Amino acid sequence: MSSTLTKPTTPATHDHALKPEKSNLGLMRPDHSKNVIIDWLTTVDHKKIGIMYGAMALFFLLVGGLEALIIRAQLIVPENDLVSAERYNQLFTMHGTTMIFLAIMPLNAAFFNFLVPLQIGARDVAFPRINSFSLWAFVAGALVLNFSWLMQAFGELGWFTASGPTAGMKDFVPAMGWFGYAPITERQFTGVGTDFWIMGLQILGIASLSASMNFIATIINMRAPGMKMMRLPVFTWMTLVVSLLIVFAFPAITIALGQLMFDRVFDTSFFQVAQGGQPILWQHLFWIFGHPEVYILVLPAMGIVSEVLPTFSKKPLFGYSIVVFSGAVIGFLGFAVWSHHMFTTGLGKVATAAFSLLTMAIAVPTGVKIFNWIGTLWGGRVRFDAPMIFSVGFIWMFMMGGFSGIMHSAAPADAQQQDSYFVIAHFHYVAIGGILLASISGIYFWLPKILGKMWAGKLSTWVAILSTIGLNVTFFPMHFLGLIGMPRRTHTYLSGFGWEGYNMICSIGAFILGFSVLLFVVDIILLMTKGKPAGNDPWNARTLEWATTSPPRSYNFARTPIIPARDALWEHKHGAENRKITFVDEGSHGIHMPSQSWMPFIASFGFVPLGLGLCLMQAGVAYMGYVTIGGLAIIALGVTLWAIEGPGGFHLHPKEDEI
Amino acid sequence: MSDDAHNNDSHHNLMVNNKKLLMWLFLGSDCMFFGTMISTHLIYRKLYPESFDPTSLFSLELTSFSTFILLMSSFLMALAVSAMHKSDIKSFRRNTLGVIFFGLIFLGCQVFEFTEFVHEGLTLNSGTFGSTFFMLTGTHGVHVAIGVFWLTCMYFYSYTGKMDPHESAIDVEVAGLYWHFVDIVWIIIFTVIYLIEFIK
Amino acid sequence: MSETLSTSHADHSGEEQKYHAFINLALVLAAITGIELVLVYLPINGTFIFATLVSLSLFKFFSVIAWFMHLLYDKLILTLAFGTGLSIASGTVVALMFIMDRGFVDFEAISAF
Repeated sequence: MSSTLTKPTTPATHDHALKPEKSNLGLMRPDHSKNVIIDWLTTVDHKKIGIMYGAMALFFLLVGGLEALIIRAQLIVPENDLVSAERYNQLFTMHGTTMIFLAIMPLNAAFFNFLVPLQIGARDVAFPRINSFSLWAFVAGALVLNFSWLMQAFGELGWFTASGPTAGMKDFVPAMGWFGYAPITERQFTGVGTDFWIMGLQILGIASLSASMNFIATIINMRAPGMKMMRLPVFTWMTLVVSLLIVFAFPAITIALGQLMFDRVFDTSFFQVAQGGQPILWQHLFWIFGHPEVYILVLPAMGIVSEVLPTFSKKPLFGYSIVVFSGAVIGFLGFAVWSHHMFTTGLGKVATAAFSLLTMAIAVPTGVKIFNWIGTLWGGRVRFDAPMIFSVGFIWMFMMGGFSGIMHSAAPADAQQQDSYFVIAHFHYVAIGGILLASISGIYFWLPKILGKMWAGKLSTWVAILSTIGLNVTFFPMHFLGLIGMPRRTHTYLSGFGWEGYNMICSIGAFILGFSVLLFVVDIILLMTKGKPAGNDPWNARTLEWATTSPPRSYNFARTPIIPARDALWEHKHGAENRKITFVDEGSHGIHMPSQSWMPFIASFGFVPLGLGLCLMQAGVAYMGYVTIGGLAIIALGVTLWAIEGPGGFHLHPKEDEI
Repeated sequence: MSDDAHNNDSHHNLMVNNKKLLMWLFLGSDCMFFGTMISTHLIYRKLYPESFDPTSLFSLELTSFSTFILLMSSFLMALAVSAMHKSDIKSFRRNTLGVIFFGLIFLGCQVFEFTEFVHEGLTLNSGTFGSTFFMLTGTHGVHVAIGVFWLTCMYFYSYTGKMDPHESAIDVEVAGLYWHFVDIVWIIIFTVIYLIEFIK
Repeated sequence: MSETLSTSHADHSGEEQKYHAFINLALVLAAITGIELVLVYLPINGTFIFATLVSLSLFKFFSVIAWFMHLLYDKLILTLAFGTGLSIASGTVVALMFIMDRGFVDFEAISAF
């Protein structure tokens, strides 16, 4: 066990007496390692994996934020020349891609990983090694995608020029928007930036897919006795819905990216117009993935809010069944509305009307949830601790994003709004006002459980005030900016259109927002350095994860709990006698723990040569095709050895009085 | 935990093996994967029916033969799984070898067919038809190849003595599910790429 | 492994039944492949042949799933897991086929198909 993070309140009962054993391969398993690095690289513990996802997500949140601040600095005055047009294109492309795939999705994954097994009363996920694989595949994907910045630097310094398939192209960083519309993504029009984008997203897709299948199996199969589906915390339900969305939506973009890659590498005709390709097909395939993707981003946030509001209102969630059902309906309907991103492409009257109506329909279950959240607050004994402030902020700010969304759903109105700053206003309200505020709420809520320390001071109030002001000052004017005609994705604008005032306000707001995120980071550092021990249940909460120590022990629960009701911990603390949590008598054979393993790390390491090899090959570097194939071989080898080594495992014997 | 002993303790859950559930989820995902590719092919055939006439190139006899081979390999796979459940390792080995053999015949037919097409001028670069045809059948072929590799590993593993029929029955079943899926995708591909073109 | 854990006699005869079902299905599938092969060459109405081919393929598809892949004998959750993916995929394919139309193609821009 790593000693820096987990400081259990009772002395360790297990660790150093155990020795690692050999796997079926005849190699020593990396269990019980005293080396911190090996321990974290080979861990299959969902809690440690969650922490690593979270740390990376917060890092990339700052990277994406920096890209945004440069964008806003460029736009603060007309005809600015802080960055060139090409650099600007790269910045907004990477800002979007980073925020969506490298910040929000792993942040959601961090919450899923840490919380779901605890919330269902399990010891770990169904497939611990696949969990580790997902994490390291994510790291590989992030590396491949951001390697492009390094290449761009080399290009600027004159140390590298593209040759071969992309000779003459100077854009090494993706520059075609986070949605990569064909045909600009073809080889004739963009350089290896597009290839980095393709490979990065493919690898990240594999990471997401494997993690999701793991979570579905976990939630369906690994629940503690008595934890019926309708007793699950809403956050776990949302994890299930989101995982199903990922499983069924990601293949569409996998194929679209594959087809694009074939166009660029093998000169096929999927999207190349002169050869009969239809670029509109890219838009369809991308948005068939892309729309479910935005629900993948937001539903976990709704799950977090559905946990925080009841806790700080001291009331159960109003209309639990309806909230769960609405979440499922939103997920399902999310597959049927993709062409609302394409209203101005000339789909024809019938298709446009159909997608317009279906999009309006999605507002219904969303609205239902909002009413239920308000109903939760109503009549409750509300405490405005930090998590609560942000969750309440979510309700209002997300709703504003929803209003502009409904405006988009009317296709005639959308004809004016499409590709203007109005759209930017809409999705930033739902993304920042919705997802970010809810995620910050979740971090304020659960970080004491994760790190075992409580928040120090009242900086959270400042984070809340400044982020809300920043959000609104930056993005509210953009509604008007869009309606008076400023188009998206333009690196500068002329004066005289009436856009100057709005842009300056937006840019000032962006820096206020950036400052609030900085304060948030400071607050986290304060917790880590000055925080007092949090105790098991600092918020007097309702769900199972708060029954464990802070941080939880490696095995989560010493004895498997038997769950009598929804909000099991609350019932245990304040409910009737027959609604107390009891425990399964597991006899004396101890707790079975999964073994740690190198194989997931090795297998996902292969993604790095796979991705970089292909991109460098496109840039004309010699022998890179072999590197790509080598990467594939490493992945295949890693997976085969993984299958043969077997799951292994060892037993722990916690003390009688532990939870 | 991923071993069966723990799953059998969880009598309150849905009593489905974790690995099996995972494989069915993966197959559901793979439906979307192949569905998107099939969709692309059908769209381009709808848009440009006159662009290419594959009836002179396609040998329906050969492709029907390879389809039949794959179907029969699926049958042998079901027998192999059944054998493992009955702890009959010898029968398992025989049937698995049969699946591998038939799988290799199928791959051989595909390679032969592709080489013929390339000689006759249909390549990856032959417009939309060449692109969609080779990507779809090629991806399917890669799936078959991975299946053959998987089953070969399993075949040799059965000789190491580490394969306990009770514990490994689920692994064989999961491999079987993958193999059957690869077969049924081919049934769809055969109809949608080959058979459709011959209707006047 | 839950449903095949016991190696009692009852389970073995269950396996026997499945064994016979597999053989029967294999024969049926072989016969259907033969019918399909003959059907395309017959001088009957094209739409009828198309409909028959699609039906036969669907039968092959679903019967392999039901019997060889055991879905008939397994818990409902597995059918739901696979069925959801299949429905979403089918729905998407159908929707795309309706949306993409020859009328939107700019044939001037295409130099080679």
